[in-house]
Amino acid sequence: MQIRVRCNCGEGNCEEWGVIELQGVVEPQPGFHDSLPNLQIGTLCRPSSQEVYTFTVGYHELTGSKVPLKKPMVVLKKVKHPDGESGCKVELQVVGVIRHKILFKNRPKALISKPQITSRERQKPIMLGSSPSNQTA
Amino acid sequence: MELPPQSGSIGAEALKHIAPGSSISVAYHSSFGPYEDLLFLELDEKLLPDVLNERVVLRGQPDEDAVLCTQSKTYAMKFVGTSNSVLLVPPANHSEYYENQLKNDSNSDEEKVVAPVLKVVSGNMELIETAPRLDKLKSLLSEKPYKLEEDDMGNLEENQESRIGLYNWNDLVDNIQASDEELLSGLQALSALEIYGYWRLVDGSYMDMILGMILKNAVLNDWSLNALNEDEVVSTLESDGFPGVLARHCLNVYGNRVNECMPSFVWKLDEKRVCIHFARDILKGGKRKLESFMDEWRQKIPDGMQPTFDLVEGEVLTEKIGVETWVHAFSVASLPSTPAERFSILFRERPKWEWKDLQPYIRDLKLPGLSSEGLLLKYTRRTQPSADAEPVFSAR
Repeated sequence: MQIRVRCNCGEGNCEEWGVIELQGVVEPQPGFHDSLPNLQIGTLCRPSSQEVYTFTVGYHELTGSKVPLKKPMVVLKKVKHPDGESGCKVELQVVGVIRHKILFKNRPKALISKPQITSRERQKPIMLGSSPSNQTA
Repeated sequence: MELPPQSGSIGAEALKHIAPGSSISVAYHSSFGPYEDLLFLELDEKLLPDVLNERVVLRGQPDEDAVLCTQSKTYAMKFVGTSNSVLLVPPANHSEYYENQLKNDSNSDEEKVVAPVLKVVSGNMELIETAPRLDKLKSLLSEKPYKLEEDDMGNLEENQESRIGLYNWNDLVDNIQASDEELLSGLQALSALEIYGYWRLVDGSYMDMILGMILKNAVLNDWSLNALNEDEVVSTLESDGFPGVLARHCLNVYGNRVNECMPSFVWKLDEKRVCIHFARDILKGGKRKLESFMDEWRQKIPDGMQPTFDLVEGEVLTEKIGVETWVHAFSVASLPSTPAERFSILFRERPKWEWKDLQPYIRDLKLPGLSSEGLLLKYTRRTQPSADAEPVFSAR
């Protein structure tokens, strides 16, 4: 069987999607697991004209930069069309292209000082929901 | 002095145009979810126009790994997972993922600049150029070779039952994982023919019969085998009861056109292909002593053609049994086209190969990114007893 790749963008006009990439997992606090839509994750800052960014998530701060992807990435959406009496035909629709990402390669650093931990404690997941900016109802 | 944030900007555009000294909010999209229907395909810049201009198709049966085909090439698709968190931000005006922006009550005059995260991407597909999978083409077309008896049946479309084992072009692209150009090349390499809209192989004995008729008529009519007039050949064979399309096909399979101008094409029979044909015919019954084979071969081939053993390299193998040398059929065309299977069968046939014998049986293996030396290195063990001896290849 064949799956056609379709593209409705005009010539060279595919919308560009954005990507933020960071190590580890963004994990909301237990109370927020079921209400993620619209939940704030963090604040992305560009301090100067360099393509350097900081990303503040809760009490964590990450530093990264904008990098072009080695190869462009196409965002494809599976679409089903009715075909014949009972069948359906699958197509892949180009919905966008990704050429850059904001990459945070290093581990986050804590914004609040902690007691020095001597043991090799595993990096804790970034906890959402504890940021003051999220307390507005 | 900190610049005021851009008002009203949301989506990927916000990510792209963060002004120096400014900041934006990153939040889960109002429709945040797994979105299993989204696929992320990494590809070379040079392939991007093919994708955006709809010259690309995915091919494969449900039980096969899908491949991506451009007009001329085939690519395996491989999923590459990532352990990082890849947060995907759609463009603001993409209607499908338009976000219902919640107004911040304390700043009703100013919309927040937000990059909404639609999905966390677990990985993407990448493309690796691969050889087309044409072995299946041969097995499909071999289901129902075109035979002499079929000449009287006429158009098959009236009889749906007779359609079993027949494949038109659309059936082939639905079943074969190859680009259109590669599929056409595969059909050509098999000497396939489109008859009543279906691609067919012509039964070997029927083909033999047609070639025999051409050669017989050449003798009767004093035709030169180097200058066969197509119209004359076709009309003569038609009067002998053979379809014109098959007569033409036979000229195409066993000959080369020597002129390109009208009114009529002129063909020269190809010595190698004709000699191979008769060699195969002789060895159909099994192995023969070399002398006996050569004698019969010389008798069968048309006058003026010289049978030499190098013509049948890649078609026959010799072996010494006692003091006798025997020859048997072993055609490269019958071997699988994947290297692992090819070498496995070669070493089953014969555990050790000298290069001059091995070369005709691997010459046609073409894999993107792998040279002949690379193939040998990967799939064989090379032994060379002394510096001046010929290398011998065996299974790894």
